[in-house]
Amino acid sequence: MFQPDQLLFLDGGMGTMLQKSGLKPGELPELLALTNPELLTAVHRQYVEAGADVVNANTFGANRRKLAKLGVTVEEVVTAAIAAAQKACEGTSARVALDVGPLGELLEPLGTLDFASAVAQFAEQVRAGVKAGADLIAIETMTDLQEARAALIAAKENSDLPVLVTMSFDENGRTFTGCTPAAMAATLTGLGADAIGVNCSLGPAQLLGVLRELCASTSLPVVAKPNAGLPDPVSGCYDVGPADFAEAMAEAVAAGVSVVGGCCGTTPDYIRALHARVRSMTPGKREPNCSSLVCTATRTARISGVRVIGERINPTGKKRFQQALLAGDLDYIAEVAIQQEEAGADILDVNVGYPGVDEAAMLPLVVKKLQEVTALPLQLDSTNPAALEAGLRVYCGKAAVNSVNGDAKVLASLLPIVKKYGAAVVGLTLDESGLPATAQQRVDIARRILDACLAHGIPREDLWIDCLTLTVSAQQEQAEATLEAVRRVTQELKLRTVLGVSNISFGLPNRLLVAQTFLVRALSAGLTLPIINPNQKEMMDAVAAFRVLSGEDAGCRDYVERFANAAPAAPAATGMTLDDAIIRGLKADAARLARETLTSCSGLTLVEQHLIPALDKVGADYEAGRAFLPQLLSAAQAAQAVFAVIQDSMGSADAVRKEKVIIATVKGDIHDIGKNIVKTVMANYGYDMIDLGRDVPPETVVAAAVQHNVRLVGLSALMTTTLPAMEETVRALQQLPQPPEIMLGGAVVTKDYADRLNAHYAKDAKASVEIARKLLG
Amino acid sequence: MALDISEALRYLGVTGVPDDNLSVQLTGLARELEERITPRFRWTLANVSDLALPGQTAARMLADCRQAAVLVCTLGAAFDLWMRREQQRDMTRAALLDALGSVYVEAACDVAEREILVRFPGMYLTDRFSPGYGDLPLTVQPALMALAGAGHIGVTLTDSLLMNPQKSVTALIGIAEKPQPARIRGCRFCAMKDHCQYRKGGTTCHVST
Repeated sequence: MFQPDQLLFLDGGMGTMLQKSGLKPGELPELLALTNPELLTAVHRQYVEAGADVVNANTFGANRRKLAKLGVTVEEVVTAAIAAAQKACEGTSARVALDVGPLGELLEPLGTLDFASAVAQFAEQVRAGVKAGADLIAIETMTDLQEARAALIAAKENSDLPVLVTMSFDENGRTFTGCTPAAMAATLTGLGADAIGVNCSLGPAQLLGVLRELCASTSLPVVAKPNAGLPDPVSGCYDVGPADFAEAMAEAVAAGVSVVGGCCGTTPDYIRALHARVRSMTPGKREPNCSSLVCTATRTARISGVRVIGERINPTGKKRFQQALLAGDLDYIAEVAIQQEEAGADILDVNVGYPGVDEAAMLPLVVKKLQEVTALPLQLDSTNPAALEAGLRVYCGKAAVNSVNGDAKVLASLLPIVKKYGAAVVGLTLDESGLPATAQQRVDIARRILDACLAHGIPREDLWIDCLTLTVSAQQEQAEATLEAVRRVTQELKLRTVLGVSNISFGLPNRLLVAQTFLVRALSAGLTLPIINPNQKEMMDAVAAFRVLSGEDAGCRDYVERFANAAPAAPAATGMTLDDAIIRGLKADAARLARETLTSCSGLTLVEQHLIPALDKVGADYEAGRAFLPQLLSAAQAAQAVFAVIQDSMGSADAVRKEKVIIATVKGDIHDIGKNIVKTVMANYGYDMIDLGRDVPPETVVAAAVQHNVRLVGLSALMTTTLPAMEETVRALQQLPQPPEIMLGGAVVTKDYADRLNAHYAKDAKASVEIARKLLG
Repeated sequence: MALDISEALRYLGVTGVPDDNLSVQLTGLARELEERITPRFRWTLANVSDLALPGQTAARMLADCRQAAVLVCTLGAAFDLWMRREQQRDMTRAALLDALGSVYVEAACDVAEREILVRFPGMYLTDRFSPGYGDLPLTVQPALMALAGAGHIGVTLTDSLLMNPQKSVTALIGIAEKPQPARIRGCRFCAMKDHCQYRKGGTTCHVST
């Protein structure tokens, strides 16, 4: 149906036409399918007569969330709306699209709607559309890449129809959530869309830049369905007329756009003018750059030079990480990610495989957490198909998978998953017969993996080959074999290569020197994706130097900046005590002084004699109005750095941690900064904070209170509309056989309110600490 | 749009002369905020009689007005994503950013208000007021947002009537033929008056009128 070199005409605005016919703003237009289908048919018919090859049925908002309030089902509305459109197309070659718009509720992490529920809602709409006989599916007006993904996955899983996906972009060339055209193109192309593009938000002239970028980023047909300019707030009229609209669209067609129509403010006159203006044109020739890349919604890592993959999110040999995984401590894993990002990693490898950890449950949780804290693309590191599928499903963007190998069974089980989610994949050059001994064997296996990928429809640029680093002290001749294989895979197979570098030096003194030398040799042989510890400055220095020599770092700018900014560490302030450093919120000094102090006393003594008194001093100043929230938080963060030092020195901070406290923002409430402030401050008084997040149903709070057997639960609510949920949660907790103490906080909570519920009133973070001390010690 | 740092300090509960470090941090962060985030707004004109707003507050505010502008303004989802990231990285910076975000969205409403005024030469605007002020209930949110076209700038409403993205505002601004007294900027009209942190601290959040 879609050919990049053949024009296809879509229809124009429906809402605008319905409002002209008397629909009031705020009224749900989807209901017209049941109450006035003739009106819909008449509008569709006008578009068909104006030249539209496809009309969008009036199903944009026909999802369960919107319709449930009106007492009609998705199937009723979709069936009637498609029938009304079909009637308008009778006797013509025009086709009917099931129109799918946003759900009207934000997905995690922006909102609280989880990905699976979003897919389920879209799936219901898609199934109804298929049953009613839609010819294609048009997913429209998306601003969140994750919601577009949910709709597209639902469409692909529940139909064989062609799917067109358009998103709405702003003047700055991004969607409201910051999604770039390149990220949209990579992600939706990978997921199997049949055409992608833009609709709504602006007029055609303002969207030209985004359209050009899309044309350069995908080989799929590109769709343009802009508004008739911008509406005037007073008159409601749009400011671009049919002729100007058509003229600007002609420019888009010349740039390579092949699917054209209009959105808000456009009418059959616009489509007629558009048709007349461009129908004899051939869409401009495009030369999309389809080279290898991975991305998130806001950040793209194109593998056009050296891209460092950070290796630290991996439990192997890391006791602290193992403990965090077993305890479900995602905050720690997030910290490891942030450190690597700050050290200059381009992509993060994510491995959560460890005995006692349910990888299929853990991987998606970690992916979600990491995507909340970093914009870096991720490489999911597992051989467990269920874990990979679960992780890729919730990953927003285009991920990489690490890894498959030459074993036919492995390829058969993992490649379909890689293909379905449009990921890049690492192919290890080993197979069921074990490790290869020569470069030739490695190249042969790489070729086999490439053939399997191509057979599964995975493009060659999405395959990265790992030629395997072996320990040079054990198998010395293998280092050369690896490098030779890197060279040949790069040159002969034209594939990107990945290499875990650190292994090379195992068992040798001055490991870093051997690893650094090997890294430079491998990069010279053609390696583009070294997997290293980016926190090792020497390794990143080598990458920076290599980028200069290869010409990737044009004008040596990054290199100069890297070393210009590497100012000598500020001389340690003399005479500063640990207590001072905490009080003044100086993280680095606090950590350094804590390390010094720990040489002469235990972690517990440090906490009792320095950390808590220092925090108390800040707390007292806060009470007295001499210090304010920013200082309270800075001190808490310095204390956090001290805790991290203690934890590293003891392998665990259990000995200095006080008991667990649960904290949550109640159901229906999404404002959680206050709760997070309380969490930060209390954690640094030593409480083991279990944060249940926001929009937390009463039963979840109760279950957690029982599971962790806590004596104190903190709840927050910001709006009067969510106070009933707070009350319900308090009552449910108080019905437990051993009810915990409860403290309440948030803008609308008062002491009277808390008293009435037999709960403690926490007016701020400091007060929460005092309540906990009084009740728990 | 230069952000008013003193407003942000007020949201943070900082009284007296702030230490230099805090002022420097806020100034730098304000600049970063303006670079990274572009506030968006949309407004439309409505007949007051069509709005059918319940309660005394709306009646008093719009007493002299046949028409009112319905405004929706937001910092957008990108700000919320940034906030979530910052809360994981540096809670102090997150708290400062949260305060600056509140200042920023109000400043953007001011810009919108000036734009509205320009469209009605010779007319006068009432104070801006929002659902939740006085006795104007949050239940009018869905209708106001639909009117202003909130969806077009990415603003949604949860089932519990909370706006998402979080730094979003809906407001009504009456258009009158005679000068309008400052009615709203006072505790008397505020739904928070019984448990307001500023009042407890002996101050107010409004410029006295």
